[in-house]
Amino acid sequence: MTIDLQSVRKEFVARDGARTPAVEDVSLTLGEGEFVVIVGPSGCGKTTVLNMIAGLERPTAGAILADGRPVTGPGVDRGVMFQDYALFPWRTVAENVAFPLRFGPAGAGLSGAAIGDRVDATLTLVGLAAARDKYPHQLSGGMRQRVALARLLSYEPKVLLMDEPLAALDAQTRTILQDELLRIWGQDGPAASRRTVLFITHAIDEAVFLADRVVVMSSHPGRVREIVPVDLPRPRNDATRADPDFQRIAQHIWSLIKNEAYRAATS
Amino acid sequence: MAAFALIWWAASVLTDNPLLLPSPQAVSAAFAGLALDGELFTQSALSVVRLLAALLIAFAIAAPLGLAMGMSKRFEEFVDPVVELLRPISGIAWIPLGLFIFGVGQSLPIFIMAYTATFPVLIGTVSGVKSVDRKLVRAAETMGLSQSAIVARVVVPSILPALLVSLRLGVASAWTAVIAAELVGAPNGLGYAISWYREMLVTPKMIAFIAMVGVCGYFCDLALRLLAARLTPWAPGAEARR
Ligand SMILES: Nc1ncnc2c1ncn2[C@@H]1O[C@H](COP(=O)(O)OP(=O)(O)O)[C@@H](O)[C@H]1O
Ligand SMILES: [Mg+2]
Repeated sequence: MTIDLQSVRKEFVARDGARTPAVEDVSLTLGEGEFVVIVGPSGCGKTTVLNMIAGLERPTAGAILADGRPVTGPGVDRGVMFQDYALFPWRTVAENVAFPLRFGPAGAGLSGAAIGDRVDATLTLVGLAAARDKYPHQLSGGMRQRVALARLLSYEPKVLLMDEPLAALDAQTRTILQDELLRIWGQDGPAASRRTVLFITHAIDEAVFLADRVVVMSSHPGRVREIVPVDLPRPRNDATRADPDFQRIAQHIWSLIKNEAYRAATS
Repeated sequence: MAAFALIWWAASVLTDNPLLLPSPQAVSAAFAGLALDGELFTQSALSVVRLLAALLIAFAIAAPLGLAMGMSKRFEEFVDPVVELLRPISGIAWIPLGLFIFGVGQSLPIFIMAYTATFPVLIGTVSGVKSVDRKLVRAAETMGLSQSAIVARVVVPSILPALLVSLRLGVASAWTAVIAAELVGAPNGLGYAISWYREMLVTPKMIAFIAMVGVCGYFCDLALRLLAARLTPWAPGAEARR
């Protein structure tokens, strides 16, 4: 599925009438099977962009198209992984992963056994088979993250929208999950079998490691400052991180963000 | 507990009037006697069954009403004035009117208890619905759940712990009211037994029944806590409770 944002603007209007311009004139296309990462300082509108694509927020102006049709609300074709996991605390790991299939339209026509098989396969994929009967509050941050990922993958949305999904993790777990995410996305397979991903992060090295293109945003109001193509070869692995090109691209993005931060601090 | 018994015993010796304040020994003997011939339990069971019936009624009224009030601001603004007007009126205040309408029987104590328990359950449900995590609702929306599925699968389980806590508050206040209702408006039950033995001037048995009110109240609350641990094993503190 392709996603098209055309001159999208979003303004939040508070109850007292105060207006916060969150996003200004964002135009961006996510190609079929493309892995796009947004980086930018806090409050620059990353989450707002993602929520608008998800259909959870409406743009104030401009258009958002999914496969050419306007987005009017949430839908199972665009799955979201929220920053703080949004797991259902009253359901076990396996039940959380089964949730969209059992209670949403994505599981219509699937038998209970078929759903069970899908859940088992997805849990194995993210390495959580042993924790299937635990409740979210019994899990570490990294495991909750995997549950959220498994729940997202279980119902196979065509577009994966991921809002700082690895932000809460320690550096080691994070590196491991970056590798796993690329594997699950299908970086070893043909490009045609991949799903479209929009991924938000604070970490520049993470952005460069994962992305086909990095969208650098600036704030007040949130705009696209530059779209940086990352033409590092796939599959990517530990060697990628040591690649001089990797370092060069990361340096470039940092310089863009550094300038922005500098201007914000001195204005 | 021992200090309490000691002070009681000392007071009963000083008063030296078994009608006014019988000794702990006399009350224990009365308690044992009533327990042996089963009267203690038959009267307790009658009151507890009434409590359960009243809880069921209160729950059936308050839970859906609270759900609707929590989800619709307009509906809340419509219903809330009535609730806030009735709430400060103790269930006991309705006993005289209840006697007219229901007469002496099962209905009066059940009505009074249901009335009393409705308010805590209602208020607990409304505040529970309002504190449902918006993120979870949004997550369910992105999975394509319909509005009714979101109510059933996200809102209801979210408020279950708060609902069970409010049910405990409801039991506590309903149990306080049942004794008053049964004192005047029932042909049997704990409150009736207390008033009966008062009229018979058998103070030890009267006090034995008063003690039973406390015992039953305690066990009803314990049962609800165990139920909560079973129904909401994910809620904070659930593991400690098991
Ligand atoms: N619901 C909202 N109401 C009002 N302002 C909001 C709301 N959500 C976000 N904003 C504002 O919009 C701007 C962008 O927010 P957000 O998209 O969350 O940024 P980011 O995800 O990049 O940190 C911020 O200034 C934020 O305060
Ligand atoms: Mg954000």
